[in-house]
Amino acid sequence: MLSLKNISKHYNVGGNKTFVLNKIDLDVDAGEFISIMGPSGSGKSTLLNIIGLLDEPSEGYHYFLGEAIHNLKEKQRSALYKSNIGFVFQAYHLIDELTVYENIETPLIYQDVKSSERKALVADILDRFQIVGKKDLFPAQLSGGQQQLVGIARALITKPKLLLADEPTGNLNSKQGEDIMELFRKLNKEDGVTIIQVTHSEKNAEFGSRIINLLDGKIDSSRNI
Amino acid sequence: MIKTYFKTAWRYLLNNKTTTLISIAGLAVGICCFLLLTTYLLNELRYDRFYPNADRIVRVGNNYKTINDNQETNSAVTPTAVVPVFKRQIAGIEDGVRIYNYSGYKPVTVQYKDDLFNEKKVLLADDSFFKIFGFKFLAGNAASALSTPGSLVLTASTAKKYFGNDNPVGKILKVNQTNNMMVTGVIEDVPAYSQIKFDMLGSYSMLDRSKVLKWDSGNDYSYFLLKPGAAATSVQQKMNLYLTDVLKSQQKPGRHAWFTLEKLTDVHLHSSLSNGLEPSGNIKYIYILSFVAVILLVLACINFLNLVTARAAERAHEIGVRKVMGAQRKQLFIQFITEAGLITLASLLIGLALAYLAFPAFSNFAGSQLGLSTWRFTWLAPLLSGLFITVTLLTGAYPALYLSAFKPVTNMKGHGSSKNGNLRKGLVVLQFVVSVFFIICTLIVGHQLRYIQSMDTGINRSQVLVMDIGGMPFNKIETFKNAISTQPGIKSTTASYDSPVQIKGGYTITQAEGKSPDYSLSITGIPVERGFVNTLGIKLLQGSDYTPADEKQVMTDTFANRKYSFIINETAARALGWKPEQAIGKRIGVNGRIGKVKAVTRDFNFASLHKSITPVVLFAEYDWFSKLLIKTSAGNLQNTLTGIKQTWKSFYPNTPFEAHFLDQEFDEMYQNEQRTGGILNIFTAVTVFISCLGLFGLAIFTTKQRFKEVSIRKVLGASVSNIVALVSSDFLKLVFTAIIIASPLAWYAMNRWLQDFAYRITLSWWIFVLSAVLTVLLAFITVSYQTLRAALINPVKGLRSE
Ligand SMILES: Nc1ncnc2c1ncn2[C@@H]1O[C@H](COP(=O)(O)OP(=O)(O)OP(=O)(O)O)[C@@H](O)[C@H]1O
Ligand SMILES: [Mg+2]
Repeated sequence: MLSLKNISKHYNVGGNKTFVLNKIDLDVDAGEFISIMGPSGSGKSTLLNIIGLLDEPSEGYHYFLGEAIHNLKEKQRSALYKSNIGFVFQAYHLIDELTVYENIETPLIYQDVKSSERKALVADILDRFQIVGKKDLFPAQLSGGQQQLVGIARALITKPKLLLADEPTGNLNSKQGEDIMELFRKLNKEDGVTIIQVTHSEKNAEFGSRIINLLDGKIDSSRNI
Repeated sequence: MIKTYFKTAWRYLLNNKTTTLISIAGLAVGICCFLLLTTYLLNELRYDRFYPNADRIVRVGNNYKTINDNQETNSAVTPTAVVPVFKRQIAGIEDGVRIYNYSGYKPVTVQYKDDLFNEKKVLLADDSFFKIFGFKFLAGNAASALSTPGSLVLTASTAKKYFGNDNPVGKILKVNQTNNMMVTGVIEDVPAYSQIKFDMLGSYSMLDRSKVLKWDSGNDYSYFLLKPGAAATSVQQKMNLYLTDVLKSQQKPGRHAWFTLEKLTDVHLHSSLSNGLEPSGNIKYIYILSFVAVILLVLACINFLNLVTARAAERAHEIGVRKVMGAQRKQLFIQFITEAGLITLASLLIGLALAYLAFPAFSNFAGSQLGLSTWRFTWLAPLLSGLFITVTLLTGAYPALYLSAFKPVTNMKGHGSSKNGNLRKGLVVLQFVVSVFFIICTLIVGHQLRYIQSMDTGINRSQVLVMDIGGMPFNKIETFKNAISTQPGIKSTTASYDSPVQIKGGYTITQAEGKSPDYSLSITGIPVERGFVNTLGIKLLQGSDYTPADEKQVMTDTFANRKYSFIINETAARALGWKPEQAIGKRIGVNGRIGKVKAVTRDFNFASLHKSITPVVLFAEYDWFSKLLIKTSAGNLQNTLTGIKQTWKSFYPNTPFEAHFLDQEFDEMYQNEQRTGGILNIFTAVTVFISCLGLFGLAIFTTKQRFKEVSIRKVLGASVSNIVALVSSDFLKLVFTAIIIASPLAWYAMNRWLQDFAYRITLSWWIFVLSAVLTVLLAFITVSYQTLRAALINPVKGLRSE
């Protein structure tokens, strides 16, 4: 479903080109659950952002669902992104001014989904994540684990084919982390969502079907589980 | 979708109460002032435009200059012959009307049964008046209403005052105790925005002069209705040709006279003629006030703009998240515009309410009744929606474009961009440039107005009571004078033709000893009673005041036999080429009055201080006095006044007592300036308020952003005053920049303004320094709360929050 060819990303720091990603080749099939690991600063987040169309590579070719991303205009890219990709962050990144319900609803609004349909979809996912009771609370009134649950619910509300998660459990305790990972596995197995996650935890990485190790912007190793 | 935009915007605004309140307060005040000013401007600009024939009506100007004059005389007062003769002679003129201000010198007394009123707005006009001006008749017939002498047309509210609900037509009113006049019609009230204002309009034919066509004298205003398509310039040309060809014999050599025509709609704001029916406005002030209106609005918008962009750092995170969730730039743009729209809507409503409350007070200032009703709805609705759209775009478009362009990845890391910091500073500087400019102007205008009021004009105005006695025979005046002269508190009394601070009479010295026979010098002249010079404290440089013998001479003999004696001012003597001591005893002739110069006075101002002193001649002539001047002594003025009033009542029970102080009259001559000064005061206060509000808002965010830096500095040992100095200096730098930019601009503008006064202050440096100090002080006080808060922060807390 996704293919990176020769992808590099570099910054100019003090006149020197420093490579954050260096000639990455990566193919991901639909239905995979990939864990990306590697030391801090190795370029994991950068890679994930490029895959998620939030960032652009300096060089290389990027194909997603058969489209050559590097040839697309901003508008087409945005349309492709909206309907196919969901993002989950370590720092949750919920909007403080919006309630749980509204946070989850927002992506649907941006997709021009009708109000009645939105209601049904949000009610459904609240129910599935068992956070119906929290729907009128604001992010500040939730625990970290609950906030991340809302973050995942929000990422999934548009039924994306690809879920990207940057250290989704980084701010959670191990029990909460495990719950999230269970949820990911279930999504992957039962709903067929392709998942790419960045994680520092060996144990959480094991939930995936493939583990990729990044080192200094290069793929150091890749093994299937 | 729309609902979501509103809900989000609403909640965001509620969650940020300080910013929201500051934005709304600034904008509401700005919008309120904008509405007040535009209403005032509308009222000025619609002046006289409601007349159905407005584009075809012109006013005649009477201009002349002799070779000995320094200046031209341009007057709106025209000879009686102008209208009847030109109407006949010139094809382009369809009709014409002479208007005489019957209540010009003193109120007209009008009696109906037992009711006695003083009417202050009574005009007399030729019977063509209603054909030309086309007022709507509620009763009576427009065509014939003025055709017989003694007919009188009333406005609706005047008719109601006299007759209640009875039919006024055919009723007889007793005017000035002698004339019985019959009401022949009732018209709608005359709008306040008409140059011709009246409560009663009588037939011009009741004046003796209506039957003679004189070219050398007259007290009328002349208006022509031009034929459709006739050009005013060609009519004016024909008038002047007639003047030089046909009336050649009447012209004195060396005296150049010409007529001008002004469009009716130009009279109020563009006329330079003196002695019009009402003092004219000044287009310059219209430009200035339009500029002020726009500037105020822009300043208020800047506040909002600055606060929004200052918060950009905080909002960067939200924008990033929304983009990750699939928001397109357009959608974010709409969201921010919606926020701006909500703020604008709230400000607009509050601004409207404020304006509604402020209109009565503002009307007082502006000198005419203003309100939202001044606007026709078909104009107000577009104004308000235009205002809404403009302000929303002004305040919303830039931040919306700017914020919606944020890149999600960089922003979610929490680094807000501070790229627009310079723009923000620039805008604050702009606000303060305007504030400083206004502060300087206010101080200078106030200074100049005080200067005028306290200037030594050569006349001692204090405690001089002016009574309107318009045309009362001198023997009656004398009896009354004698009766009050015994009362305590009265120092001296004298009578004169005009008020001594506004002497209007245009005369000509047509012969003078030692000059060629065709000598001619335009002067201002005024018949006065003995004691005029003394009562007003006018200094004599040479010679002496009139004696009872001079008095007797002009009172008894016929005009032809009178031996006049003149008192001239220094300027007149100079114009005649005489030193004061040489002037005494010289023979001169003033419009047929032959006599000797008896005294020379030190120069005194007898007209507006916009003009410098010109030659003036006082002469004893007791035929017609309109003012009685009573010099009272200080202390217990009230008793003195009551005494005079009682004596008046016992002498003339049927003529209401009318008096005012000379001081007061003098001050009223500068009403236009006082008014502009007043408006300037208000709007300076508003500008300063808005700018300080903006600075305050900015201070909140800047200090918040610097909490960490301040904390570290405190850990390193900085004292509270170190920190206050550090943080305030940033703001004060902006204010200093503003002062440096604004001062020369204000200097230039005020210099121009002062040129209009013949008597003016010099611009001294202390005004600029004072303004600078004032502004810095205001700015410092504004930011001090925030800087102190920053300085008093607990450093541990400040560091942890990062
Ligand atoms: N705007 C930038 N300019 C210069 N260098 C940058 C910029 N953004 C990121 N980098 C560099 O790119 C490298 C990779 O960053 P990235 O966030 O992808 O690391 P990471 O593998 O996710 O690390 P971590 O595990 O700590 O999250 C880092 O060394 C960082 O310094
Ligand atoms: Mg990372």
